[in-house]
Amino acid sequence: MAEYPTHHREIVDGLLGGRFILHSDKLFDEIKEREDFYKSFFLQSFGYTLKITQQYAYVSSDESNETLSRDFSIFFAILCYELDKSGKNFLDELEYGYYEYSQIDSLFENSSYSELIATNNKLKDSNARKNLLNDMSRRNIIEKESDDTFTITPAYKVFTEFAEEIAKSRTKDNLQKQ
Amino acid sequence: MRAEPKTILRFLFEYFEPLRDLLEAQTTDGLIRKEILKAVCESRSVSIQNQLMEYKILRSINEDFEFHSVYKNLIEFIISEFRPLLPETIEKYNSSIYKLFQKIRDDADGDKEILKQRITDLGSEIRTFAELVERNTIGLLKETRNIKANIEKVDYKEKIIRASRWIDEYIVPLNKILDANHSESVTNKLNDVGQFVNIKRLGLEDEQLRLQFEQLYQLVISTNDTLLKQSRILTTELLPLIDRIRTESIILTGWIEFLEKPEKYSTPPILKSAKVFAYSEDVFLNTKEFFEQFSKEETIFLDEAELPREKWIFNKKYYKSRLKESLPVTDFFSWCGQTLADEYGKTETHKFFELINLIFENDLDLTFGENTEAIKLKMDKTTIKFPKISIIKNG
Repeated sequence: MAEYPTHHREIVDGLLGGRFILHSDKLFDEIKEREDFYKSFFLQSFGYTLKITQQYAYVSSDESNETLSRDFSIFFAILCYELDKSGKNFLDELEYGYYEYSQIDSLFENSSYSELIATNNKLKDSNARKNLLNDMSRRNIIEKESDDTFTITPAYKVFTEFAEEIAKSRTKDNLQKQ
Repeated sequence: MRAEPKTILRFLFEYFEPLRDLLEAQTTDGLIRKEILKAVCESRSVSIQNQLMEYKILRSINEDFEFHSVYKNLIEFIISEFRPLLPETIEKYNSSIYKLFQKIRDDADGDKEILKQRITDLGSEIRTFAELVERNTIGLLKETRNIKANIEKVDYKEKIIRASRWIDEYIVPLNKILDANHSESVTNKLNDVGQFVNIKRLGLEDEQLRLQFEQLYQLVISTNDTLLKQSRILTTELLPLIDRIRTESIILTGWIEFLEKPEKYSTPPILKSAKVFAYSEDVFLNTKEFFEQFSKEETIFLDEAELPREKWIFNKKYYKSRLKESLPVTDFFSWCGQTLADEYGKTETHKFFELINLIFENDLDLTFGENTEAIKLKMDKTTIKFPKISIIKNG
């Protein structure tokens, strides 16, 4: 009988639950050690792609939760924009920042993207944002430090890389037009 | 013959994309050249020139065309594409609002019909002004975000030139119009209007006029809120533009593009979490998390709810006569306790404290023994110490 890693079930449950497994987690080392096995396991068993970076692992597929991913992306987009507007280095803030819920509320309530925020069910008010942050916490995109504070985990990079891709493709389009 | 309204609306719906292209052409060139109209129709494979004229969506200028302003405004409004206006275009409302206000104020006791019309006109001017300011801020935000995103990859010097032009020609003058600290600003004029209208809406006898002033007052209040919001955007986001474009980031460029039309992009594929069933292992953790949010412990004091008791009426005459029958009594408080215990099977505190009131009766002769040691009496719920008091005889 094939021998599975010690925490195989936890790894599979976590990743299939849409969670990011972070490098600080002991499960991450097991995934890294058996990288080829797990990539093939998720592809053969479910048709999912396992993505592993130096800081996190997650699975993605065509059966993605488009709405939730869009809400997370809008959240990060507005957060970065507002942090930059207030004169902060937003990348440092994502990497090392320590956030209070009230600070997030203030950034969103004073944002010039007010129309977009008001029409998004996951961002429209403080309670909605709290639910969104709970979703992000469940997936290890943020880590709750207390009832009122949290930090952002390296999983944010999935979203900032997405933004980079948009910028590159738009710049390319623009150069082609010229 | 004029077309049916629904036919025109259906036409707008069906041919929205070519109309959008035509509006973009007009925004760039100031009008729609006939070659452009032809090219748009060909590229979209439509033949709509006749309807555009018949439904009065376009009007001809020599050989070229332009949108009727009502359709131009409608399409701009729907797609939120507002080209910023020069502040001179907006500033004219400063004088029109103030002139109407002065006439209303100076001629408030004149012809009522004229007064009503002026109030309506003033409301309309204020509304148009607020809409223009709002549209202008949206337009300015878009232009300045484009400079920040810098998709065109213009160099820093060129970016500064563009930003300075927006600031000097559009943002600073608009800020003056809105700045409440500036005596000539529209915001200040609106404050004057608000104060006057506030008095009138409460003090006039004519109900219809009072109602009109009330509506105008509510409009002024909501316009002030709108202007305050726009003014905040100007001071926090648009005026510091030069500072903000010093830094550039490919990530921010991407985010600005994304926020322009979030629905247009396929976002990172994050796995759907599996459906949670009541027997799933996650249920425990999810339920725990749900309950943990209510787990802030507070000290709770529980009062044992007492059963309602029948009110006991102290019959002073009866107990006094029983006391007199028992004289001499060597220990008054023990006598009270014993009397109640004999009668009710226990000594209840509230009855006890009623009964000891007998001690204040004038015709009883009280004496205190030499021994000062207190005696303990056990009640139903407590034990109380009392001094020893004797009653010898009738006074």
